[in-house]
Amino acid sequence: MNLQLGRIVLVTLVAAVSLSSCTRQSEEQMPTEQKKHLEVVLRSQDGDYWKTVKMGAEVAAKEFDVTLDFRAPGDEADVKGQIALVEQSISIRPDAIVLAANDYHDLSDVVNQAARANIPVITIDSAVDSKWIRSFIGANNYEAGQLAGKQLVKLIGVSGDIAIVSFKQGERNAEQREQGLLEEITKYPDIKVLDKVYSLTDRDLAGELTRQMIQQYPQLDGIIALNEISSIGVADEIEKLGLQGKVKIITFDSTSDELQLLQEGVIQSTIVQNPFSIGYLGVKNAVDALKGRKIPDRVDTGFRAIDLDNMFWSDNQKLLFPFVK
Amino acid sequence: MGKKIKALFKALYTVLLDTMRVRSIQFTITLSFIFIAVTIMLIVSLVLYNKFSKTAEENAFLNTQQIIEQMQFNLENYIKGMSDTFQVVDAKVAKAHGIPSDRLMEQLNTIAMTREDIVSIDLFTADGQLVTGINNPEMRNNTRLTDQSWFKSALENPNHLTFSLPHIQNLFKEPYKWVVSMSKGVTIQRNGQWVDAVLLVDVNFKTLDDVFRTVSLGKKGYVYIIDESAGNIVYHPQQQLIYIGLKYENVEQALKFSYGKYMDVAEGETRLNVVKTVSNIGWKIIGVSYLDEIVTTRKEISTFMIWLLVIVLFFILLISALMSARITQPIKRLKKSMEMVEKGHFDTYIHVRGADEVEQLSRRFNLMVSRVRELMDQSIHEQEVKRKNELEVLQSQINPHFLYNTLNSVVRMVGSGKNEEVVTTITSLSKFFRISLSKGKNIITVQEEIEHIRNYLIIQKMRYKDKFDYEIEVEEEALPYKTLKLIVQPIVENALYHGIEYMADEGLIQISVKIVHERILFEIRDNGVGMSEETLKTIVNGQGKSAKGSGVGLRNVIERIKLYFGSSYGVTVESELEEGTTVKIWIPKMLEEEV
Repeated sequence: MNLQLGRIVLVTLVAAVSLSSCTRQSEEQMPTEQKKHLEVVLRSQDGDYWKTVKMGAEVAAKEFDVTLDFRAPGDEADVKGQIALVEQSISIRPDAIVLAANDYHDLSDVVNQAARANIPVITIDSAVDSKWIRSFIGANNYEAGQLAGKQLVKLIGVSGDIAIVSFKQGERNAEQREQGLLEEITKYPDIKVLDKVYSLTDRDLAGELTRQMIQQYPQLDGIIALNEISSIGVADEIEKLGLQGKVKIITFDSTSDELQLLQEGVIQSTIVQNPFSIGYLGVKNAVDALKGRKIPDRVDTGFRAIDLDNMFWSDNQKLLFPFVK
Repeated sequence: MGKKIKALFKALYTVLLDTMRVRSIQFTITLSFIFIAVTIMLIVSLVLYNKFSKTAEENAFLNTQQIIEQMQFNLENYIKGMSDTFQVVDAKVAKAHGIPSDRLMEQLNTIAMTREDIVSIDLFTADGQLVTGINNPEMRNNTRLTDQSWFKSALENPNHLTFSLPHIQNLFKEPYKWVVSMSKGVTIQRNGQWVDAVLLVDVNFKTLDDVFRTVSLGKKGYVYIIDESAGNIVYHPQQQLIYIGLKYENVEQALKFSYGKYMDVAEGETRLNVVKTVSNIGWKIIGVSYLDEIVTTRKEISTFMIWLLVIVLFFILLISALMSARITQPIKRLKKSMEMVEKGHFDTYIHVRGADEVEQLSRRFNLMVSRVRELMDQSIHEQEVKRKNELEVLQSQINPHFLYNTLNSVVRMVGSGKNEEVVTTITSLSKFFRISLSKGKNIITVQEEIEHIRNYLIIQKMRYKDKFDYEIEVEEEALPYKTLKLIVQPIVENALYHGIEYMADEGLIQISVKIVHERILFEIRDNGVGMSEETLKTIVNGQGKSAKGSGVGLRNVIERIKLYFGSSYGVTVESELEEGTTVKIWIPKMLEEEV
């Protein structure tokens, strides 16, 4: 009986040893945990700005080993289109959604829908009115507006007449910039805002409106264009009218058109954000949220005032010209 | 705190020592096996592990190094190509007369067409005026080109080709591009005069950027390039993040090396950095590979080894337990049987099977136990014999038959009025009994024994008058030696009643005591009828008993002598029918009584 027992034990042990060595190998062959998938919905398919945001997001995706899908409507004014895209995203049940909203209010329903489906939502660049947002990553547009005001004073002095060219009524980022700007120039009672127009996404419209404004107020000292599209239209018109340098232009963002106009001296100053950082941190924070780590409610990616003097400094070069073409 | 630790260590040490003192075979075997197995496994795994990780690390280094070398080679080739092109341009410009000229333009355009990556070839005056350039570009405003590093270093180092860091070219009304500028301070002939100028050839950085992007070292590894003068980053896959401040690359260490390798730690991960310098342009290539990617297999191996160790240990434990059990079980059974024997169960027999040694042990044990049993039985038997003999002696000390006969004789003597004979007889009887008793002692002197037999014979002579005669011869030296009492008298009695009684003639009993070597010899000779051999045997074995005798007999004497003095002493009997019998009694020569 002793012998039989011994034999059984021997066989069991040999089996155990060989089994353990097998499991090592099979563990290798088994697929590792499925990579997390993020849906990134941007404001527009066009524009260097969003291309840079995308680049930042992709760098983060490679670093943190997640997959991304990008969606965007035709332009930044297309709210309905963007809502539909977000709904599409929700339907494939991603691990998280990163959204740059085209409208502060209109996107809240679909964001809440995502939250109910247990999909965490991170907003970048443009905020959304919803309490289910995990975090907002972007520049403080109000403070950016303030900085624009400061630049204005540097350029025209403590007195002058200015006009504001905005994007779309109710567009949150533009409104915040405007508020910051107006708040800054209330310190200078001799600076007056003569006109405010909305150019939407139409460059030509911006140009047309500019021409009208110059006609109406030939004494204009400066124009603040609250976003990129309007700034090009304004600048082109000012150049056409031969008023570059006389009517100072301050704008936001750093598309290559704007930069050329900046070097040419048509645009005097631009307030730039950090789109690469926005894209990168958007994905990074989404990944952190999925890992269960605590993420801040607000990440301020900052902004900088760029003018002719500093645009070709080496670190500004990296910021303003992120792509090697 | 320190005291507590010391106390703890001391306690552990004591426990360890105590454990080692436990001598259970099972424990010792198991412990030794485990110790050996663990030691061997540990040594083997450590050696393998070290060898493996060393090899893996070396391979990783070799791999990274090869990739970096390849990159360095490619980069050097490219840069050589670039500077060769520049030299051609330079030569053309130097030869040209009267710049700008169409001929020069044509030449420069041809050269520019040979390479896709040439963005522009231009010549500037020392104060930043464009003299000529391919494609007749329109210059932008506000270029501030005289402040740009390529311009300044060309003027500062004339006749020396300067490479710039990658930067945006903002000179012409063309889309902004990242370029690397090659510039040189030259002298040109212009309007008949030799003037200082700056020759600029801009090469699109995209070519290099594409090359750099494609290199990867493992999943997380990467390559980056810095300029050796100040450590400015030429290329880094995470350049943006570094500029934002989200990442940090320790370029200071890389600057220390012109080639070689070093390890560093970034964000908690150890990395291997391999450095190579690209000549001419003053750039360093650094290849970064993450050690944990190399080392994952190391971890797997160590995990496997630990599992193997655990399983083998378990295996060993079991085997050694089984083996030692097979050895110790029979021993334990043996022990139990011995305990039984100790308790007095001498009929224990062990049926033990097991290892050779154990079986032999048990067989020997059985033999020993039966031997003990034998000895015990023998002892008991001897005790019985002794007791019986002593009883007999005790009885013979009283000798009732002899007393009865002698008193009868005395009565007759008194009746006959033979008063002198009565006195002699009673005196002898008294002496006879006194020595018989000897105050209970068993050992008396030879003298006393002879006295005893003398008195006996005196009495018997009175009774049997002319029936026999006797002679007693004793060596004087033998007198003080000790002897067992009542060894001569029974023999003489036998001689009288068996030998002489049936004789017709007068019998003779001769008694002598001699010292022979170291022994004392009592010889009792009679010339009686003797015995046949068979009778002799019977007498010696004690199976015959005289009805008239005292009952003690020859056998008793023999046995007592053997008991007292051992088997080398005793009695011999020689007898011949019609001739007589000689009885020899041998005892040791002793002065001191031995128990």
